[in-house]
Amino acid sequence: MLQDIVSQYKGGFAPGASTELRAQRNLTRRLALVSGSLTTNQRTSVGGIGARVYKDGVYGFASAAELTGEAAGKVLESATANAELLARHAGRGTGALPPVAQGSETHLPEYPDLPQKVYIDYLQGLDGYIKSKYPGLESRTLVAYHDSMEKLLLSSDGFFSHCLQPRSYVYIFLTAKGRDGAPVEVFEPLGGFGTFDRHFTDPAGLYAKVDELYELVMHKAEGVHPDAGSKTVILGGELAGMLAHEAVGHTVEADLVLGGSVAGPMFGKRVASELVTMTDFASTAFGKAAPLPVYVDDEGVKAEDAPLIRDGILVGYMHNRQSAQHFGHRPLGSARAWLFSDEPLIRMRNTAVHPGKDRLEDMIASVDDGYYLLKTGNGQADSTGEFMFGISMGYEIKKGKIARPILDTTISGVAFDMLRSVDMVSDSVNWSSSGFCGKKQPMPVGLGGPALRCRVTIGGR
Amino acid sequence: MNVKETARYALEKLRATGAQQYCCEARSARKSEFNVDGGLFSLLRTTIDNRLDLTLIKDQRRGKVLINEFTREGVDQAVADCLASAESAESDPAWTLYEGGRKSFTLGAPEGDMDKLFERSRELLETIKRDYPKVMVEQMIVEHDSAESLYLSSLGAEYATREGRYAYSLMFSGHEGEKTSSFNGCGVSADSLDQPLIELGEARRLLAEAERQIDTVQTDSKFVGPVVFTPGCAANMLYELLSNYVMDGVILDGTSQWKDNLGDAVADPRLTVSAAPLHPGIVCGERYQADGRLSENYDIIRDGRLASFMLSSFVARKTGREPAGNGSMNLVVKEGELPVESIIAGIDKGLLVNRFSGGSPSSNGDFSGVAKNSFLIENGRIGPAVSETMISGNLARMFEKLRGLSRERVADGEMLMPYIAVDGITISGK
Repeated sequence: MLQDIVSQYKGGFAPGASTELRAQRNLTRRLALVSGSLTTNQRTSVGGIGARVYKDGVYGFASAAELTGEAAGKVLESATANAELLARHAGRGTGALPPVAQGSETHLPEYPDLPQKVYIDYLQGLDGYIKSKYPGLESRTLVAYHDSMEKLLLSSDGFFSHCLQPRSYVYIFLTAKGRDGAPVEVFEPLGGFGTFDRHFTDPAGLYAKVDELYELVMHKAEGVHPDAGSKTVILGGELAGMLAHEAVGHTVEADLVLGGSVAGPMFGKRVASELVTMTDFASTAFGKAAPLPVYVDDEGVKAEDAPLIRDGILVGYMHNRQSAQHFGHRPLGSARAWLFSDEPLIRMRNTAVHPGKDRLEDMIASVDDGYYLLKTGNGQADSTGEFMFGISMGYEIKKGKIARPILDTTISGVAFDMLRSVDMVSDSVNWSSSGFCGKKQPMPVGLGGPALRCRVTIGGR
Repeated sequence: MNVKETARYALEKLRATGAQQYCCEARSARKSEFNVDGGLFSLLRTTIDNRLDLTLIKDQRRGKVLINEFTREGVDQAVADCLASAESAESDPAWTLYEGGRKSFTLGAPEGDMDKLFERSRELLETIKRDYPKVMVEQMIVEHDSAESLYLSSLGAEYATREGRYAYSLMFSGHEGEKTSSFNGCGVSADSLDQPLIELGEARRLLAEAERQIDTVQTDSKFVGPVVFTPGCAANMLYELLSNYVMDGVILDGTSQWKDNLGDAVADPRLTVSAAPLHPGIVCGERYQADGRLSENYDIIRDGRLASFMLSSFVARKTGREPAGNGSMNLVVKEGELPVESIIAGIDKGLLVNRFSGGSPSSNGDFSGVAKNSFLIENGRIGPAVSETMISGNLARMFEKLRGLSRERVADGEMLMPYIAVDGITISGK
C-alpha cells in the first residue's frame, strides 16, 4: 500500500487556485499462452506523484516518478509555475473553481500480490483441458490479465481519499476452420473487479464456459455472410453496453460537447424512444455494486450517478469541475486519470441502458427477418454519434426463430436515430468491464445494457 | 540513481541470479505538452518518468519485469520478481538474446525549444481560424518529448541513446449552425520547428475537407467499385493486412493464410512495402531491438512478393523462420507513377476514403466498416461527402491487383505513404 505522502501538504496549496495532489501506483500482470506456448509473461509496476493546479481558466500539471514527500513538494511547485506561465499567455482571468464539498473516502479491498506462478498454473490447467478435449481446433489462445490503480489524493478543497481498484480477467480465444477452409474465431473475456484469485481458483470452473465457446465457434464455422443493408436487429446486452458507452456516452462528455458534439444542441430534447433510460453509475447500479465502482474522482469530487437519458430525453452531461462551472451544472465525480503522470479527464465509469419489461424470447419471436447480434470485438463512434461495432457472433432471425450463424461483420448507425427506433427492451442487464476506453489516456470502464430491438445498418456482401 | 547507474546496477543484479542470458534498459523521459480544448489553450503539462525493463532467461525460462523506480531497493525487488517469473515459466528453447557491441545514438531534437513550440502552436490555431473558419478544433496536443536511455546485455550490447522530437495531434470537425461533420484528426512527428505545423503531413487537406463534410449525401444503392484510400487510411489498411498475414500472432498460431508463401507473389507487382525506421523521413526510429540486435530496414513485400515476415526472434525460432530486421511499424511504401488526380480521373463511380472505422478483419481477411470523412467519386471527379456508407471486401484480394499507387507520398514522421487505389469493394448505403 502507498504511504501517505500527501496529507502533509494540507493547507499548503497556493491561494487563489484549485489544486490536486495525487500519489499513484499501477500494477499490471499479463500472460499469454498461444497454443500451449507462453509468449508473454510480464509484470509491470509504475508509480509516482502528480499535481495539477487550476488558475484563471487554465491548468498546470507536473509529475515525477518518485513516491516521496520531497517529490510531492517539487511537483506542486512545478505545476503551480506551469499554471502561472500558461495563465500569463492564455489565461482567462477566472480565478479558482467554485468550491466542492470536503470529505474523505477510503476503499482498500484486500490485495494479495499473487506470484506469476498462480497465473501460469491456471492458464496451463485450462489449456490442457482445451487441448485434450478439442484437438481439432485450429488454435487456442489464453490470456490472463490483471491491473490495479491505487490512488492517494488530497485537494485544496479539503477532500482526502485513498482508493484501490483491482480487476482480473481470463480471455479465451478459440479458432476453428470454416466451411471454405478459412479460420473463424470466437473469444470471451471472463472475470471482473478484484484480484485474480477471487475469480479464478480452479481451471475446472471454466470448463463449462470453454464447452459453450467451442459450440459457438463450431456454429460460426458454418456461418454465412449477412445481407448488407438496414435491418431490424436484436442487439444483445453486450452490444447495448457498447452502444451506451461509445455512441452515446462519448457525445455527452462535456469536453466533447464543448468541442462540438451532436449532443450540444439536444440538451433537454428527445434523443431516444421513451423506452430508453441511461445512466453513468458511480459505485452501485440497480441495487448492486457497479462492475468497477468509483467513490471519488481525481479532482476530489465525491462520485454520484450521472443521469444521461431519462425516458428518451437527454437530461445530463458528464463533467469535470471546470465544465460543470461552464454549464452551471453540479460535478458528479467523472474526472479520472490513468497514471500518476496523467491529468484527470472526463471519463465514463459504469455506463448502462436501464432494463425494460420485455422477455428476450418474445423479442426474438417478434422479428420476421433480421439478426440477433450477440458479441462485439470493438466499437468506435464520433462526436456526430455515428457509430460502428464489429460483430464477432450473431445469428439470422427468420420468422421469429434463430436461424443460421453469421460470419464476422460490422454494424453502423447514428446513435440518436437508432435509439429513436428502439421499440422493445429486455428485462435483464448484461455488464462487461474487461476493456479500456481510449481518450488520450486508457481507462478501465464498465458498460452494460439489456437487449434492444432496433434498426441498424449491417455490413456484409 | 541516474540512467547509467540504474542500468549498470540492474545488470549486476541480473548477473547474480545465475541466468544464462539477461538484459536491461533504463530510460528517463521528459515530456512538455500544451493542450488546447475547444479552441482555447487549457493545460501546460511537464512530466518526468523513468522506465527500467528487465529480461532474463534462465534454463530457457524467460521472465520480464517493467518498473519506473530508479532506486536500489526497487531494482532489487524487480530482479527478484523477474527471476520468480522466469522460474514459474516452462522451458522454451526459442528464447534468446543476441550479441552486440557498443553504440551511441543521438536522434531527432533532444533539446526542445518550448517558446518556439508555443508560438508554432498559437500560429497553428490562428491559421486554422483564418483559413478554415468552419472548422472547430476539438482538441490539440503539442509536445516535445526527450529521453536518455541505456541498454545493456549479458552478450556485450551497450546502446546509449539521446533523443527528442516535437509532435502534434489535432482533432477537429466542421460546423455550420447546428450541422456538424464527422470528427477527423491528424498527427505529425518532427525533429525541428522550421516549418509551420500546418504545413506538415496532411493537415491542410484534411482541414479543408472537414468544411466540405458538413453536408453529406447518403449512398442510395449497393455497388461494387473502386476505392481510393488516402495516405493515412492506406497506412491503416496495410497495417490490418500485415496483422492478418505476416505478424507474430498469426504465424505462431498458424492461422495466417500466407504462412507458406515466403517468396511468392501475394500482391500487385507495383507494391513494395518496407519497415524502415532508419529512413531519413522517420523521426527517432528504432535503432535496436529488445533482443539486442541492431535494427535495419527491410522489405516486407517487394514488387508484390512476400519478402519477409514481421517476426520477433522468439516466434521466428519457434517456427523455423528468420526474424525481422526491426520491430517497428514505420511503413514506407514505394510511390507510383501517376498523380492522384489522374487515378481519380479514371474512376466513373467510386469512393475516396479518408478513414475506415471497422471491426477487426476476420482471420480470412474479410473486412467491413464505415467509410468516414469520405467522398463519392463520380465521372472522374471528387463529388459530395458521404455519410452512413459502409465498405466491405477482403484484405488479401484487395491488394492483389491495385488500380494504382499515387506519385505523391505523405510523410508524417512515422510513415511515408502514397494514395492506394483498389477495385472490387462493396459500397453500400443505408
